[in-house]
Amino acid sequence: MNKKYWQNFGDLTESERFQQASQNEFQEELLPLAELDGKGMLDTPTPRRDFLKYLGFSTAAAALAASCEMPVKKSVPYLNMPDNVIPGVANYYASTYVNGGDAISVVVKQRDGRPVKIEGNELSSITKGGTSAQAQASVLDLYDPTRLRHPLQKSGEDFKEVPSFDAFDKLVGTAVAGIAGKAIVLLTSTINSPSTLQIISEFLAKYPGSRHVQYDAVSYSGMLLANEITYGKKAIPSYQFDNAKTIVSLGADFLGTWLSPVEFSKQYSVNRKVKSKKPELSRHIHFESMMSLTGSNADDRFTHKPSQTGAVALALLAKLGGAVSAPAISDAKLVKGIEKTAAVLNASKGAALVVCGSNDVNIQVIVNAINDIIGANGTTINWGATNNTRKGTDAEIVQLIADMNSGAVGGLFVYDCNPAYTYSESKKFTDALAKLPVSVSFNGTMDETTEQCKFILPSHHWLESWGDAEPKTGYISLLQPTINPLFKTRPFQTSLLKWAANTSDYETYYKNFWAAKLGSLTSWDQAIQDGVIETAATTAGATFNAGSLAAAASKIAATKSAATEVVLYQKVSVGTGSQANNPWLQELPDPISKVTWDNYAMVSPEMAKTLLTLDVMNNQRQADAYEVHPEKPVVKITVNGKSLELPALIIPGLNSSTIAIALGYGRQSANKDQILDRTGRAAAGAGKNAYPFVTTDGSTFLYSAVATVEKTGETYPLAQTQVHGFTEGRPVIYETNLSSYIADPKAVLAEPTHERAILTPEGKTDYVKDGTMYPDFVKPGIKWGMSIDLNTCTGCSACVVACTAENNVSVVGKIQVQRAHEMHWLRIDRYFTGDLENPDVVFQPMLCQHCDNAPCENVCPVAATNHSSEGLNQMTYNRCIGTRYCANNCPYKVRRFNWLDYNGSDSFADNQQSLIGTDTNEVINHMNDELTRMVLNPDVTVRGRGVIEKCSFCVQRLQENKLEAKKQQDPTLVRNVKTACMQACPTNAINFGNVNDKESEVSKARADESRHFYVLEQLHVLPNVSYLAKIRNTDRQIGVEEEHGAATEAH
Amino acid sequence: MSLLKYESQQREPLVDGNKDYHQITEDIIGPIEMKPSRLWYIGFYISVALLMFGVYSIYREVTYGIGQWNLNKTIGWGWDITNFVWWVGIGHAGTLISAILLLFRQGWRTGVNRAAEAMTIFAVMCAGQFPIWHMGRVWMAFFVLPYPNSRGPLWVNFNSPLLWDVFAISTYFTVSLLFWYSGLLPDFATVRDRAKTKFRKMMYGVAAFGWTGSTKHWQRHESLSLVLAGLSTPLVLSVHTIVSFDFATSVIPGWHTTIFPPYFVAGAIFSGFAMVQTLLIVVRKVMNLQDYITLGHIEAMNKVIVLTGSIVGCAYLTELFIAWYGQNPYEWYAFSQNRANIFTPYGWSYWLMMFCNVVSPQLFWSRKLRRNITVTFFMSIIVNIGMWYERFVIIVTSVYRDFLPSSWSTYYSPSIWEIGFYLGTFGLFFTCFFLFAKYFPVIAVSEIKAILKTSGENYKAKMTDIEKSDAEKFYIEKVEHAH
Repeated sequence: MNKKYWQNFGDLTESERFQQASQNEFQEELLPLAELDGKGMLDTPTPRRDFLKYLGFSTAAAALAASCEMPVKKSVPYLNMPDNVIPGVANYYASTYVNGGDAISVVVKQRDGRPVKIEGNELSSITKGGTSAQAQASVLDLYDPTRLRHPLQKSGEDFKEVPSFDAFDKLVGTAVAGIAGKAIVLLTSTINSPSTLQIISEFLAKYPGSRHVQYDAVSYSGMLLANEITYGKKAIPSYQFDNAKTIVSLGADFLGTWLSPVEFSKQYSVNRKVKSKKPELSRHIHFESMMSLTGSNADDRFTHKPSQTGAVALALLAKLGGAVSAPAISDAKLVKGIEKTAAVLNASKGAALVVCGSNDVNIQVIVNAINDIIGANGTTINWGATNNTRKGTDAEIVQLIADMNSGAVGGLFVYDCNPAYTYSESKKFTDALAKLPVSVSFNGTMDETTEQCKFILPSHHWLESWGDAEPKTGYISLLQPTINPLFKTRPFQTSLLKWAANTSDYETYYKNFWAAKLGSLTSWDQAIQDGVIETAATTAGATFNAGSLAAAASKIAATKSAATEVVLYQKVSVGTGSQANNPWLQELPDPISKVTWDNYAMVSPEMAKTLLTLDVMNNQRQADAYEVHPEKPVVKITVNGKSLELPALIIPGLNSSTIAIALGYGRQSANKDQILDRTGRAAAGAGKNAYPFVTTDGSTFLYSAVATVEKTGETYPLAQTQVHGFTEGRPVIYETNLSSYIADPKAVLAEPTHERAILTPEGKTDYVKDGTMYPDFVKPGIKWGMSIDLNTCTGCSACVVACTAENNVSVVGKIQVQRAHEMHWLRIDRYFTGDLENPDVVFQPMLCQHCDNAPCENVCPVAATNHSSEGLNQMTYNRCIGTRYCANNCPYKVRRFNWLDYNGSDSFADNQQSLIGTDTNEVINHMNDELTRMVLNPDVTVRGRGVIEKCSFCVQRLQENKLEAKKQQDPTLVRNVKTACMQACPTNAINFGNVNDKESEVSKARADESRHFYVLEQLHVLPNVSYLAKIRNTDRQIGVEEEHGAATEAH
Repeated sequence: MSLLKYESQQREPLVDGNKDYHQITEDIIGPIEMKPSRLWYIGFYISVALLMFGVYSIYREVTYGIGQWNLNKTIGWGWDITNFVWWVGIGHAGTLISAILLLFRQGWRTGVNRAAEAMTIFAVMCAGQFPIWHMGRVWMAFFVLPYPNSRGPLWVNFNSPLLWDVFAISTYFTVSLLFWYSGLLPDFATVRDRAKTKFRKMMYGVAAFGWTGSTKHWQRHESLSLVLAGLSTPLVLSVHTIVSFDFATSVIPGWHTTIFPPYFVAGAIFSGFAMVQTLLIVVRKVMNLQDYITLGHIEAMNKVIVLTGSIVGCAYLTELFIAWYGQNPYEWYAFSQNRANIFTPYGWSYWLMMFCNVVSPQLFWSRKLRRNITVTFFMSIIVNIGMWYERFVIIVTSVYRDFLPSSWSTYYSPSIWEIGFYLGTFGLFFTCFFLFAKYFPVIAVSEIKAILKTSGENYKAKMTDIEKSDAEKFYIEKVEHAH
C-alpha cells in the first residue's frame, strides 16, 4: 500500500464534495447549452431567434409603455353641417383691413368658421395684393383677450355690465336728453367709409349743433392745410411713385408708415426692378434726420437736424429756381446733396416727385412749390383721386378740448381713436372729458380714453363687420364679416342709426346703400365677392398758388434749433400704438434697429461718443461690449419740460444731433392693478409713451423738437434679434451701382463666379455636380425653389408676420427674445455698409435655404430632419429629440428651438406659469388663451417644447396646391402656389415655385443670371433659395466710404 | 501583475517602506473595515449635497425646458457639451493606465490603476449625463437606439456623429467597467475572506463572484485582463476621436478641423492624468497610502502631463497656423478674432486656455517640481481648468460668431441651472468616489503584491547588496535560475 500524502483535510477524508471539486477544477465546458446535443439551435427550447424576438419585444414594449400615454381630446363633428363649411377646407372672403383711416383690401382665409389668415386682395388696383405687417397681424386682434365683451357703464371707479343693447340705448338716451342744448361731438379717427359718413351726417342732423371731429393719432394736417393754401383744396392728393423716375423724400417714410405705405411700396417697386435687358432704375434720394425704413432704401441719403427740414426744402426750391432765397446751411455734404438733387430733379421734370414727412404747414407749402416746379402735378401727383386716409386737422381737437372745458360740448362719442394716449397734453383731454355729463366710447378695448368714458359700447372688430372704405376717391373696398361676432358687441354705425331714430341696423342700411349705388343687389353680390369697386381713375393736376411762399419761407428761417433734437417716428410694427397689444407686432423686430418689445432713443455713433462715452467706431472692444450685452445705457431726454428715460441704441446713419424715438409704446391704464386686463398682456410694460414729446407751433402738431439729453448711469435691456450689422466682407450680399452694372453686368457677381471656378475641379465645369466627392442625384418632377430680389425688398416685414400667422410661429416675449430665443422662421437681416456716418443698408430676408446638401440633415442622430424628393428640407417634430446639433451646424442659423413651452402644448401640462416674470412674459398667457388660440392655423402642427422647427416653404400650401392640380389634372396649376411670405410681399420681391418648370415665377426670376446668387455658395450646401444682387442708382461706389470718414475696420 | 521578474536598481522602488504581503493587505483593506473618518463624512455629505443640487437643476431643465439654460439660437451647445467633452476626456486616463500601460508592461501603473479606473468609470458616468439631459425631449431619448419599432423603416441616422457617440461612449463605458470589475474580483475576495460580519461577508461574497483564488481563476483572470486591455486600447483612442467628430465633421469654422482626433485624444490623456493627480494626491494623504502611491508614481504621471500638454500645445499652434495658411476667411476669422484677439468678447478664454494648457505644464521639465506634491496638486487643477476652457473655446467661440454676421450672438454666460448641472456631476463623481474609497480597495492589492518582490523598497534594498557584490554571479543565480 502506498503512503498517502494529503494536502488538506478534504484530500484526507476524500469527501464527495472535494472529489467533485477536484475533478471539475480543470473541466472546460464550451457552451452552457446542455439541451443542444445534436438537435441544432432552432430546436432548442429557447432558440436564438426567439431570444432576439423576446429581446426586441421587451425593448419595444418598454419603449411604448414609456411613451404611449396621450391625453384624450374629444372633438365633436357637426350634427347639422353648415352651408359652405367643409371641415378641413378653407374658405376665402374678400374684405378690408381698416384701422385709423388705413384701408387695405384683403382676402381673409377662414377655416371651420374662423378667420386665421389675412392675404392681400389682388383685385385691388391700389395694393395689388400687397399687405403690411399690421394688416397681417390684425387677425390676432380679433382674438385679443382684452377685447370688451359687452356694453359697460361706469359705476364708481369701475364699470358694470349693461345687460342688453336696449338697456344701453335707454341709458344713453336718458343721458343725452339730459344735455339737451349742448353739442354732441363725434370724435373719431379719419373715416373714409362712404356709408358711415352718410350715417354720421344723418346722426348730426338729428342733434343740431353737434359736429364730427376727425382726429388722427399722427397728424397730417400740415399737408392738408398747405394744400388748402396752395391749391385751395383741404385734401391730400394721391401719389404715383410708379410714374416717378426721381423720388425725393424729405423725411417721409412712404415705404413704412407714411400715408399709404402698401400702395406706395407697390408703386415704388415698379421702377426698382432691374431687367437684365436695358437695366433701368428710378432714383430715390432721401433727406432725413433719423434712419427710417424708407431712408434705408434710398440710393442717396443725406442727414440733417430735424429743425433743418425746412431749410433743406427751401434750399432745394431755391436751387430749382423758386422765388425764395436759399438759407445758409453749414454742412457741406448736405449742401452738395441738395445741389445734386436739384440737378437730378431738373433732369427728370414731369417724372419726378418730392414728398415730405413734416407736419409743418410752411414746409409743406415749400414742398408743394417744388413739386409745382418739377412738374409733378398731374403726373406723379394726382388730384383726380384724393387720398382719404388722413383727414384730421389739429386745430379741431384743440378747439374741442376748449369747448369741452367751457361746457359748450355736453357729450362726446369716441370711436376708433384714443386721444387720452395719443394727444400730447393727454391730461388736458382727460380732465375735460371728466367734466362731460355724457361720454361714450365705441372702442373695442379698454384703452386710455375708453376707461375715462361713462358708457362703453364696444364695436365689432373689422373681421366681424360689414362696411366699406374709400382710401382713394373712386376706389371702394368692401368689408364683410368672416365670423359671427365673438362677443356682445354692436357696430358703431348701428348705434348711431339707433340714436338717430333710424330703425334699420347697419347691415341692412349698408346693403341698401350699395344696392342703390350699384343698381342692384346682384351687382352688390359681385362687388362683395371681389371686395373692391373701382371706377376708372382720372389723373388731374391742380393750379399752384405761390402767394404764401414768402411768408412760409420767412417762418422756416425762424425755426429754432439746438445741439440736440428729438424726432418722433412710427415703426412698421406697432405704428401709432392702436395695435400695441398685438404680440405678433410687438415681437416683430424693427427693420432698422432689430429691437422688439420696446422703444428707445436711437442715437448716432457720433453722439454716443460724447453722450455715452462709447466709441463704437474706433474702439473695437467698446463696440463689441456694446453689441453683445442687451443692457444699454439709459439716457434722460427732456423736451418742453417733460422727460423720458429711455435706453440709448446706437444706430449708424442718424444725424449726429438727433435722437429718434418711436411712438406707439408705453400704453397705460389709469387703474394700474388692471393693466394686464385692460391694456393687455402684450402692451403692458412695452416701452414708454413718447406722445408727450409732440409739440405744436400753434397751428399743427410737430413731431420733432429741441431737447436736452443726459446719461443717467442706469442700464435697460433691449431685446434685439440682430446685434451685429456688418457683413465683414462675407459673400452674403452683393451689390453695385447702376452705371457699373450697365457697364459690366457680370461684375457684380465676379467674386462668387471666381470662387465657383476655384472650387470646381480642373477640367470640370459644373460646380454643383463636380464640387463634391459625393454623387449627384437626379431631381426630376417638382423641385421647389425661391428667389428673393434684394433690390425690391424694402424690409417692411409684412412677410415675417405673414409667416408667423401662417405657420403658428410662437411668440416668446421680451425676456426670451432678449435671450435670443425668438422663433421667427423668416427674419430680415439688415446690413450696413460703407460710411458709418451715413451707411448704405441692405435688407435680406433669411429663411431656411432648403439646401440640397444640407449640413443639418446628416448630423441628426434620429433622422428627424431629412430631404424630400421635391427638394424640401423637412422637419419631423414627432421624431425630434432636441439635440440642437442641426441648429449648430446650420450656416444660416435659421433653425429655431423650442426652449420653453410657448404654446401650452407641453408633454407636462401647465408647468410654465411659475416662470412668468422671470423667464417669460405675461404674453405667453395672452397667446395661450383659449380665445387667442383660435387664430392657430389648423393645417400646421403647433410645436411642443424641446423640438427644432424652421421654415417649411409652407409645405401645407404646397400639398394643397398639388392636390388641386392633381384633381384638375393640370400640372400647370402648381404655378399658382404662393408661400405666405410671397403672398404678403407688397413689392413682389419674393418669387417661389418649381425650378424645374421654366415657366414658374422662380425660374423667370432666376433667368437674370447676372444678379442671381446663393448665400455662402462656397460651402457647397446647394441652397434652394437664391437672391438677386442689389443695384443702386447712384454715382457712389457701393460699400466704399466717402472722402473723409471714420474707420469701418473697427467692425 | 508584473511580467518582469527582475527590475533594474536604477528604477526607484514602487512600494516604499518595509512591507510584506500581510502588511499590504492591512494597509489597503484595513480602511474598508474601519469606520470612516470625519473627513470622509464631511466630504461625502458635501458631494451628496452637490449631487442633489444637480438633480434639482436637471429637474428644472426637464420640467420647464432647455430655456432654463442660457443657450440661444446661435449657441446651441454651451456648458452642456463642454462639460460632456471635459468629463469624457477625464475618463481617459484610467483606461490608458490600465490597458495601454499594462500592454507596455509599466509596473508603476499598479499603484494607481484601480483609482484611475474608478475615476474613469465615474467620469464617463458624469459625461453621459450631458448628452442625455441636453436633449430637448429627453423622454424620447430612446430614439437614438436602433431598436425594432413599429414605425416602418424608421431607423437611426448612422451618418450622425452624435449617434457614433452613443455607441462609442456606451462601449467604452461597458469595457471600462468590465475591466475595472474583473480587476476587483481578487481583492473583493480578500475582503470577503477577512470579513467578520455576516453582512459584509455576504455582500463582498456576492461581489467577488465566487473567487476562490484557484490557479484556474488566476489563469482566466490574467487572460481576461489581457483581452480587455486589448479591447480597451483602441477604445482609448476611438472614444475621443469620435467625440471630436461631433465637431470635425460639421461645417462650422473652428469645428471643421481635421486635426481634432489626435488633438482630442492627447488632450483627453492630459486632462485625465491631471484629474488622477488631483484625486490621488488627496487619497494618498487622507488614507495614508504614501507607500503605495509614491513620489515616483506622481513623477511618472507628471511626465505624461508635460508630454501630452506639449502635444496639445503643438496642436493649438498647428490649427492656428493652418487656419491662417488655409486662407478660409471664416476659419481665419474664428481663430484670429473670436479666439486669439483678446479684445473680442471671448478672447480671454482662449488665452486662459493657452496659459493653463501650454505654458504652465512646462514647469514639469524640472525634476524638482515634478516631485513636488504641492506644485503637482495646483498644476493638476490648473490643467483641468485649462482643459475645460479648451472645450469651451472650441464649442462656444466657434459657433457664437460663425458664418452669417446677422446671427452673431450676444454674450453667453451660463444660468444658475447650467452651473448647477455641472456641479451636480461633480457631486455624482465625488459621491461615487467617496463610496469607492470607503468600500473598495483603492489600490489593487493583488497587483501590488505581484510587484512587491521586484519593486518593493525592502526587497530592492536586499537585492542591491547582492547585485553590487558580484553582478555576474547575481545574474546567474537570481535571474537565470528564476526562469
